[in-house]
Amino acid sequence: MLQLVELTRRFGETCAVDRASVTIADGEMVGIIGRSGAGKSTLLRLINRLIDPSEGRIECDGIDVTALRGKALRAWRARTAMIFQQFNLVNRLDVLTNVMCGRLFDMPAARVLLKWFTPTERALAIRALDRLGMADVAMNRADALSGGQQQRVAIARALMQQPRILLADEPIASLDPLNAKLVMDALADINRRDGITVLINLHTLDTARTYCQRIIGMSSGRIVFDGAPDALTDPVLREIYGQSANEGLDERLTSTSLPASSLATLAG
Amino acid sequence: MSGGLDIAAERARHPEAFRGKGWLGWLLFAGVFGYLFYLMWLFDFGRVFTSLANVWVIVGLMLDWSGIADWDHAELWRSMLETVAMAYLGTMLAVVLAVPLGFLGASNVIPQRVFRFFTRRLFDGLRGLDQLIWALVFVRAMGLGPIAGILAIAVVETGVLAKLFAEAVENIDRGQVEGITAVGAGLAGRLRFAMLPQVLPVMISQALYSIESNAREATILGLVGAGGIGLRLSERIQINAWDQVAYVIVLILISVALIDTTSRYLRLRLIGAVN
Repeated sequence: MLQLVELTRRFGETCAVDRASVTIADGEMVGIIGRSGAGKSTLLRLINRLIDPSEGRIECDGIDVTALRGKALRAWRARTAMIFQQFNLVNRLDVLTNVMCGRLFDMPAARVLLKWFTPTERALAIRALDRLGMADVAMNRADALSGGQQQRVAIARALMQQPRILLADEPIASLDPLNAKLVMDALADINRRDGITVLINLHTLDTARTYCQRIIGMSSGRIVFDGAPDALTDPVLREIYGQSANEGLDERLTSTSLPASSLATLAG
Repeated sequence: MSGGLDIAAERARHPEAFRGKGWLGWLLFAGVFGYLFYLMWLFDFGRVFTSLANVWVIVGLMLDWSGIADWDHAELWRSMLETVAMAYLGTMLAVVLAVPLGFLGASNVIPQRVFRFFTRRLFDGLRGLDQLIWALVFVRAMGLGPIAGILAIAVVETGVLAKLFAEAVENIDRGQVEGITAVGAGLAGRLRFAMLPQVLPVMISQALYSIESNAREATILGLVGAGGIGLRLSERIQINAWDQVAYVIVLILISVALIDTTSRYLRLRLIGAVN
C-alpha cells in the first residue's frame, strides 16, 4: 500500500504539488489527469524520489520512503519503475543493454564499470523484450527504433526491475494512435497479470476512462478529484481543466484512440 | 500597392523601423582600418616587398633536389617517426588523464561550485602555457630527447582535453541520465551507462584530432631539443640546406596527411558514419 501524506513540492514561488494526500492499494491501475503544469509529472517524480519533497511524507508498507538514503533509496527507485514521455532510453546503447540497465541497482560496481552482464540477466532481458514483441530488435541501437518501439523497450526495462509499482509519465503523449493502444494494452496487461500497481499520467480523458478503474484529477498542484471514472461529471471536469472547459469538453478532441474498426484494418 | 500608404503615420507608430544603425558602426569601421594602417607603418611593412628577391632565391634552392642521393635519409625518417610517436604517446597519456578529470570537472557529475572552480583552474593552468615552454622546462629537468617532448604534449593536451570532455559531459541529454537514475543506478551506473555512451563519440573524435594536431606541433618541439624532426629541420635551416628543408617539409606534410586519413577511417569505424 502506497500512501502520500500532505506531499508538497515547491519550485521557488510556485507550488508544483500542494499537500497531496492519497492512498493507493496494491494492484490498482490509477489514471492521473489534469492540464499541463498541474503537477502530474512532479507527483510521479516525487514518488520515485527523482526529486525530494519540500514537505510531507511518502509511506509504503509502514516504511518512510522520504527518509531513504543511499542503497535503500536506490532499491526503492528500482521497486517503483518509471516510464517517460520521451522514453529516456540511452540512444547509443543497443536495446538489450538498455533493458539490462533495469538491473543496475543491484550490480556490483566492478561489473557495472566493465559492462558485464550475467547470462541470467541476459535471459531475463530477452524474455521481457519478447513479452512486448521486441525481441527481434534486441541488438539494434535504441535510437534506430520508432517512438512506439522505444516506449515498449522502456516498458521492458521497467519489467526488468521487477517493480511493485509502475509510474508512467504521459507514456503515450508522443505516440500515434496505434502505438498508443499497444503501449496502454501492455501496461494494462502488466497490471492485471503481474499484479503491479500502475500510476499513469494521461493527457487524454477517454484513455483514462477506458483503462483505469480509478482516476485522480489534479489542478494547480492539488488533488481535486479522486474516484471512479463514472463520477467524472461536467462540473468536476471543469474544476480539473479550468476555464478552458467552459464550453464543455469534447473528449474526441483530446483523444488519440481509433475506432475499433480502423484499428483492425491497421493491425491486419 | 502604395496607395493609401501614410509614411508619416507609420513612422510615428513604429519609429524604430525607420532608424538607421547610427554612426557607431562607421566609427568602428574607421577605427579598425586606421589601426591596421598605423601598424603597417609602425612595423615597416614595406620590407615585405623590398626583400621579396631573397624569398625567391630560397624557393629556388628548395626546388633543386639534385643532391637527394647524399642526404641522410635514415636519420630524417627515424626523426619523423619519432615525432609521430611523441605525438601519439603524449596524446594517449593526456587522454587517460583527461577522461576522469573531464567527468570530475562537469557540473552534472559534481555539482559543488568550489570543487569545480579548482578543477577548471587546473585545466586552465595546464594549457595556459605553450607546449614549447613546457618542453624547455622538461628538457632542463630530464635532458635532451623525446621524453621531454612527450611530457610537454601530455601536460598541455591534458588541460585541453579535460576542458573539452567536461563541456561534452555537461552538454549531454539529461533525459537519458534521468532514465538511468530512475532505475536505481548509482554513480557508477550513471557514468557508465548514461553519460559515457553519450560523450564517447566526442572523446574519440577529439582524441584522434589531437594526435593529428600534435604531430604538427611536435615538429617544433625538436627546435628546443625535445626530440623529433624539428631538430633536423633547424640544423638544415642554419646551414642553408634549403633542398633538405623542403624534403623535411614534404615528409611532415605526408605524415600529417597519413594520420588525417587514418584517424578519419578510425572515427568512421568507431563512431559510425551517422552523426
